[in-house]
Amino acid sequence: MAVQGIWSGTISFSLVAIPVQLVKAVEPGRVSFRMLHSKDYSPLRRRMFCPEEDRVVPPDEIIRGYEIGPDKYLVITDEELESVSSARSRTIEILEFIDMKEVDSIYYDHPYYLVPSKGGEKAYQLLLEVMRRTHKAGLAKFVLGEREYLVAVKSTEGALALITLHYSEEILPAGDITPKREKIDAEDKVRIRKDIKKMMADFNPGKYADERRKKIVALLKRKVKEKAPVEAPEAEEEEGEGPADLVAALKESMGKVKKSR
Amino acid sequence: MSRKVVEIAGRRLSLSNLEKDLYPSYGFTKAHILEYYRRIAPFILPHLRDRALTLKRYPEGVEKDFFFEKRCPSHRPEWAKTAEVIPDEGEQMTVCLVNDLETLMWVENLASLELHVPLARTGSPETPDSMVFDLDPGDQANILDCARVALILRDLLSRLRLASCLKTSGKKGLHVYVPLNRKETTFEDTKKFSRAVAKIMQNNYPDLVTVKMAKEYRKAKVFINWSQNDSSKTMVCVYSLRAREKPVVSFPLAWRELENLAGKGDPEKLQVMHSEAVRRAKKQGDLFREVLVKKQRLPHL
Repeated sequence: MAVQGIWSGTISFSLVAIPVQLVKAVEPGRVSFRMLHSKDYSPLRRRMFCPEEDRVVPPDEIIRGYEIGPDKYLVITDEELESVSSARSRTIEILEFIDMKEVDSIYYDHPYYLVPSKGGEKAYQLLLEVMRRTHKAGLAKFVLGEREYLVAVKSTEGALALITLHYSEEILPAGDITPKREKIDAEDKVRIRKDIKKMMADFNPGKYADERRKKIVALLKRKVKEKAPVEAPEAEEEEGEGPADLVAALKESMGKVKKSR
Repeated sequence: MSRKVVEIAGRRLSLSNLEKDLYPSYGFTKAHILEYYRRIAPFILPHLRDRALTLKRYPEGVEKDFFFEKRCPSHRPEWAKTAEVIPDEGEQMTVCLVNDLETLMWVENLASLELHVPLARTGSPETPDSMVFDLDPGDQANILDCARVALILRDLLSRLRLASCLKTSGKKGLHVYVPLNRKETTFEDTKKFSRAVAKIMQNNYPDLVTVKMAKEYRKAKVFINWSQNDSSKTMVCVYSLRAREKPVVSFPLAWRELENLAGKGDPEKLQVMHSEAVRRAKKQGDLFREVLVKKQRLPHL
C-alpha cells in the first residue's frame, strides 16, 4: 500500500530498528464553517490588531512575549525559542517498556497509527505480536512539529499505535475536586452493583453517532437542493499580467497568430 | 438485489444491480457501464494511474442525486491500492488509486460514472504533469466557440514551442492540456503561465474570451478557467463517461479533426459516445498519450 504519512523514521530499542511511517488514526467529524461578510459573502480573514494604534499590525512587527504580570512581558525571540527546541526526531527511541494497564486514560492525548515501511514488515509484525500478547507498551520521547512528546507505542486493532501522552505536570491535581469521603452502606453498594450489572453491554461504539453532525449534514444536503449557494465576489486580481518576459513573448506570439489567421 | 461474482486477475469481485438503468432516457445499465470501462481500460488506466481518484457517484442514475467521494470508501476490497494524501486544507485522508482493471471495475460497481483526477500523482503532489486550460462556454455560447478559442490557443502555445493536446469535456466544453512531465515544474509555474496566457487571450479576443468566473461576464463567451492548475483541483479523466442524458465520453480529438468539425457548425458532431469512443480508441490508439510522456519546459518564467 502506498502510504504517505505525517512522519517517517524508525522505531528502535536495543538492537532492533523498524522503519515506519506515522499516520493519523482519528479524523474528527466536525463540520466546519467559514465566516462570511453578510453583505457580499466575502470570506473573512483574521488580522492582528493593535488597539493602542487602532490599526492592523503586519507580520514583521509581531513578536512574542511571555506574560509575567499585568502589562509586564518577557520578550522571547525566534532564535531563543529555537535554541531550546529539540531537533526533529528521526527515530522513536523506546526508553522503557511498561504495562499499558498502568497508564490511566487521563494521560491519553492523541492516537496515531504506525505502519511498516519497506523492509520493516517482519520486525514490525514481531513487535506487534509480542506487544499484543503481553499488553506491554514502549515509552519514548518523540519530536513532531515543534513539540517534544512523550509517547506510548502499543498494539491496537492489528497494528501498532502511537499515542501521545500528557506529561504528568499537565495533569491537574484532582485534590481540589475530589469529594470528601462519606460513609457508604453495604446495602446501597450491592444495589448499585446490581444496577450496573443489569446495564452491562459490550463496548460497541458503532451504535452511537454524533447526532448533531448528522443533522447538520442533512440540513446542508437539503439546502444545496433548495437554494443556490451564494457566491463570494471574485478576489481582487493581482496587479499585472504576469512575468514581464512571458508577457512580452506572449504579446509577440499573439501578434503573429493574429496575422496568420 | 442481484449479485454476480466475477474473477479478474485472480481477484474476486461481487458486482451488484447490473440491470439497473443508470441513463434511463437513453437506456444504459450498470452492466453497460462496466462493459464500457472494461473495453476502454487499456486507454484510461495509464491516465488514472497513481492519481488520487475523486469518485462522482450516481447510485440512482444520472437523473438523480450524485455525490463526490474523495476518500476511498472504507469497505474497499483489501487489494484495492490506496495512498495517503494531505490536502492544503483539511486532514490527511486515504484515497483510491485506480491502477488496474479490477479496481476500475470495483469503482464502477459503485456507480462512479465520472472519474476525476488531479494533475499530479500522489507520489509528487506538488508536481503537475501537465498544464490545463479548461474552456467552458457561458450562456449563449457553445462548444463551437470553445473550438475557436482552442485553435487560437494551440497556435499561441505552438509559437512558444509548446505542443498541446485536446479533449472534449464530454459536457459543453473543451480541455486543452500542455504536457510537461518535468519534476522541476510547480503549480505556481503552471498557474502563473496559464493565467498570463488566458489574460492575453482575453485582451485580444474580448468578445470571445473571458477569464472571469462570474456568470454575468461569461454570457456568450468562453471562460478560460486557468485556475484548475492547482494541487487541490481535479479534472475529469480522459475517456471517463459523463453523467449527461446520454453516455458521452471525455474524448481526445486530433487538432486536425477539430479544425474540420469547427467549420461544420454542428456542436453535436464534437461529442463522442461510448461505443464510438471504444472503436476509435482501438483504431487510433491513445491520442492523449503525449500528456503522460512528452517533456516540455514552460519558457520565460
